[in-house]
Amino acid sequence: MIYDLAIIGGGPAGLSAAIYAARFRLKFLVLAREPGGTVLKTHLIENWPGEKSLSGTELMDKIRSHAESLGTEIKQTDVSAVKKKGRNFELITDAGNFEAMSIIFATGTRHRKLGVPGEDAYYGRGVSYCAVCDAAFFRNKTVAVVGGSDSAAKEALLLAEYAKKVYILYRKDKIRAEPINAERVAKNSKIEIITNSNVTKINGEQLVRGVTLDKPHAGSKELKLDGVFIDIGYDAESSLAASLCVKLDERGEIIVGRNAETNIPGVFAAGDVTSCSFKQVVNAAAQGAVAASSAYRFVTEKV
Amino acid sequence: MKVTIYSTPTCPYCRMAKEYLKNKGIAFTDIDVSSSRERAQEMIDKSGQMGAPVIIIDDKCITGFDKEALDKAFATPPKPSKPTASGKSGKPDKSSK
Repeated sequence: MIYDLAIIGGGPAGLSAAIYAARFRLKFLVLAREPGGTVLKTHLIENWPGEKSLSGTELMDKIRSHAESLGTEIKQTDVSAVKKKGRNFELITDAGNFEAMSIIFATGTRHRKLGVPGEDAYYGRGVSYCAVCDAAFFRNKTVAVVGGSDSAAKEALLLAEYAKKVYILYRKDKIRAEPINAERVAKNSKIEIITNSNVTKINGEQLVRGVTLDKPHAGSKELKLDGVFIDIGYDAESSLAASLCVKLDERGEIIVGRNAETNIPGVFAAGDVTSCSFKQVVNAAAQGAVAASSAYRFVTEKV
Repeated sequence: MKVTIYSTPTCPYCRMAKEYLKNKGIAFTDIDVSSSRERAQEMIDKSGQMGAPVIIIDDKCITGFDKEALDKAFATPPKPSKPTASGKSGKPDKSSK
């Protein structure tokens, strides 16, 4: 069987595309390694219209059940390769191979690593990339968030609900959180920001004991910690798209036009994997809708 | 095969791992480490890990939702020292214990 559309990725972009694809009555499927996507790692989302505050998991449960109620088939699988097959595309996955007339890449991002000694050795032993996953292990402990983004500020706020002390370690002179979150951080007595500093090493024995900074804080380059949460940004998961000769920008993000189209006919992209400048759930969902509509036009005009 | 997962309710990778196990029809015991400090400590002692999920399969310990490692763990045919009821030791058999 040949699908009209294969959506790769099960985050807000992919599942929003699925909702529209289902209503367009396309024959399609969603292939997702991690259904829900990286938004699941967000503790609270407070800027999704219609919902004042809910967790990333709650939001994605709602979006997923909406998509599934329209008959969306989600396969939890890796896509290992995508190839051109005549006029169509062939997707090679753990769950079998699929042929589709069009593709939407909604593959999102993966977290960036700090790249310092100790990071890999202490991963899961005090080093974490997911505060919502692991915050509970750091009750009454001292932790640090490395990074100065809005996401890093939110991780620090969540960790402050458990830990007795939370440092934010940032290489620049001012964190760049959404002002509402920057205010919350400033007001939180458990959180201390150390700016203009880089972590050069993560130290420990069995578990993390601290980090080494590139300049002294309170007279010492050694900072005692029980946990290090790394949140220094994300890289686009675009290698699969690149293998189809889809054009990427200098950051490795997929270049899309206003209709979510790429340079390859029949290949569309949506969400954080694209070169859009504002990485937000609302933006990803909107792009997913546009991509589905473009795929619908592509498929129906082709026949 | 005894499978235990140490998880927290908010941890997405725990959910994915549990979904993976359910899809494979593998029975498991779920231990919520967020509600009990003793259980969290038990997990740290058993695995040396401070991150969820930790999945213990018999005596093997897998950290995180590592699909490849899980695929491998569940694809391993039963050991020849413990032959299955049907005696087909070379084939993965979900019912074997």
